[in-house]
Amino acid sequence: MKTVAAIAPVLALAASLAAAPAFAADLTVAFPSAAPQGQIMVAVFNSEANYGGEGQPAQVAMLDAAAGQTSVTFDGLPDGDYAVRAFHDLNGDGKMNTNPFGMPVEPFAFSNNAVGNMGPASWERAKFAAAGVTTQSIDLK
Amino acid sequence: MTPSRRSFLMGAAALSAAVATPEMVRAAAALDAVAATKADWALATQDIEGDIARRTMRLVHGRAPAGLQGALYRNGPAKFRRPGGSATHWFDGDGMMRAFRIQDGQATLEARFADTPKRRTETELGAVVTPGFGTKGDARARIGSNDDANAANTAVMVAGDQIWALWEAGSPLALSASDLSTQGFVTLRDDLKGMPFQAHPRYASDGSIWNVGSAGGQAVIWHLRPDRSLSDAQVVPLPRASYMHDFTATDRHVILVLQPWVFATHAMPVTAGLAWRPEMGTQVLVLDKDDLSKRRLYELPGFFHFHLGDAWAERDGAIRFDVAASADPRFAVDGARVLVDGHGVVPGDPAKLALITLRPDGRADMTYSDVVGEFPKADPRRAGLKRSLTAHTSGETRGRPLPTGLAVHDWDSGRSHAFEFGMHQVVEEAVFVPKPGATAERDAWLVGPSVNLKEGRTELHVFDVARVEDGPVATWQADTALPAGFHGVWAG
Repeated sequence: MKTVAAIAPVLALAASLAAAPAFAADLTVAFPSAAPQGQIMVAVFNSEANYGGEGQPAQVAMLDAAAGQTSVTFDGLPDGDYAVRAFHDLNGDGKMNTNPFGMPVEPFAFSNNAVGNMGPASWERAKFAAAGVTTQSIDLK
Repeated sequence: MTPSRRSFLMGAAALSAAVATPEMVRAAAALDAVAATKADWALATQDIEGDIARRTMRLVHGRAPAGLQGALYRNGPAKFRRPGGSATHWFDGDGMMRAFRIQDGQATLEARFADTPKRRTETELGAVVTPGFGTKGDARARIGSNDDANAANTAVMVAGDQIWALWEAGSPLALSASDLSTQGFVTLRDDLKGMPFQAHPRYASDGSIWNVGSAGGQAVIWHLRPDRSLSDAQVVPLPRASYMHDFTATDRHVILVLQPWVFATHAMPVTAGLAWRPEMGTQVLVLDKDDLSKRRLYELPGFFHFHLGDAWAERDGAIRFDVAASADPRFAVDGARVLVDGHGVVPGDPAKLALITLRPDGRADMTYSDVVGEFPKADPRRAGLKRSLTAHTSGETRGRPLPTGLAVHDWDSGRSHAFEFGMHQVVEEAVFVPKPGATAERDAWLVGPSVNLKEGRTELHVFDVARVEDGPVATWQADTALPAGFHGVWAG
């Protein structure tokens, strides 16, 4: 019994290393109603802290909306909770443009089409479980 | 130890305190008020549950004036209370557009809710959750941009075959003029999306339209062409971050009246962040329409106001305009809550008309009349030009909300003429409608509705400006009552 106890953490570690190929999600993020203009910036986060700006996104993509690209698939993500931030860079200047009072004027959205409460949608509202084939269809507004 | 009755009650109180927010208690009280202690005027802030299809109004008094053809579009809140939480302030109900159409001596009425993101969210949740002017809202609110909180409930302007429902802190919402259906928020230029477009555009004699939108210590000055496309929009700094519901204009000036109700903290609702500092006085900022960087600043004793009359310049260069002025913002903070409660005493005194004069030498003065009045309106043929008449609602008394009469004040003679319906009528803003082919200031009608509390009906009245004291020349009555609205516009 003592032996089993000793190797249990090793087994657990091995299982977690193997998890990526064994339990992987293919996440498709689609923007079906996006105008054929500019580019869509997509960032996928795997934790509340990173989503909240404390860390980096797990995945990013830039969709060439002008060329008709309105979806992207991230293959092989570890199963888990994710949230997406996206904005449509209509004029292709690489920035989220704002009006003179500082409010965004280019369409943006979050996974689940979640809306915030006087700010970005919270992790609680935007998070979703990715496992297997997962699709988020998002309306940029 | 056996739990005592007292400790059980304490526990229950703590539990109820945890789940029942003051807003929820107020919401419940507002719903209860329907059954219990409603004031005689409570019909004027009732909830409307659905759109009102077009119906014929019945002529109950006088006769339709020959030559009066057109539509009076009016906006105002018409849904305050939901089971899971209610608006607690008169300004935060869902906007409902009314159309009173007068054609061939007949009148019709229809009304339709503005289909806003706020209304959709709150219908889905069965609760008013969106913070507003005086309603706190709660954590369930969905606000990604200011237009997600847009109640589209304050005023209206005509734009071709559309009418635009106006609010204070967001975009105009375009509706179909023919069936009042919602078409969407108006973005006048892509880089100005979501900029506030306030509820009191001023019409210039060249057909163009001026408006403002304020955000703390700065304001956008809008200038629209006669076809409602954007001519120009400029952001100007303000000497103070003041609450501003209205502005005024002469043919050459944009005039911003900066009252001493100032944004002191970041808080929601809006009223929670405002502080009344009468010792600061009221500032009047005058901008040159041709060059908005040319500005003059005048100082007046502090007063509170929502509404200004059209301004004009005298030959000597003095600028004049009228205002419905109060001593303090107690109505805006507390009185408007009484209205949604459906009972209670409105604090403070009703607003009185006053005339402000800005002199070329930099002095400013303000002369109060004895006339109780709100919702000032003037001759559209004289917008920005010398005039003498102000039409306004009248008859409001201390403690009781809402006007009961209609009046015309002559600033030249100092004389006022009023018609008092009596306490059984809540009188709404009336618009000035010039008689066809006429030019004199008194050659006009006043067209506006009332809520007949006794009969439980909305009425539409036409007055002759020259003889307002004689009462309506025509009154039509609907088969239903709508709550009192805010502001309207005539489309002839």
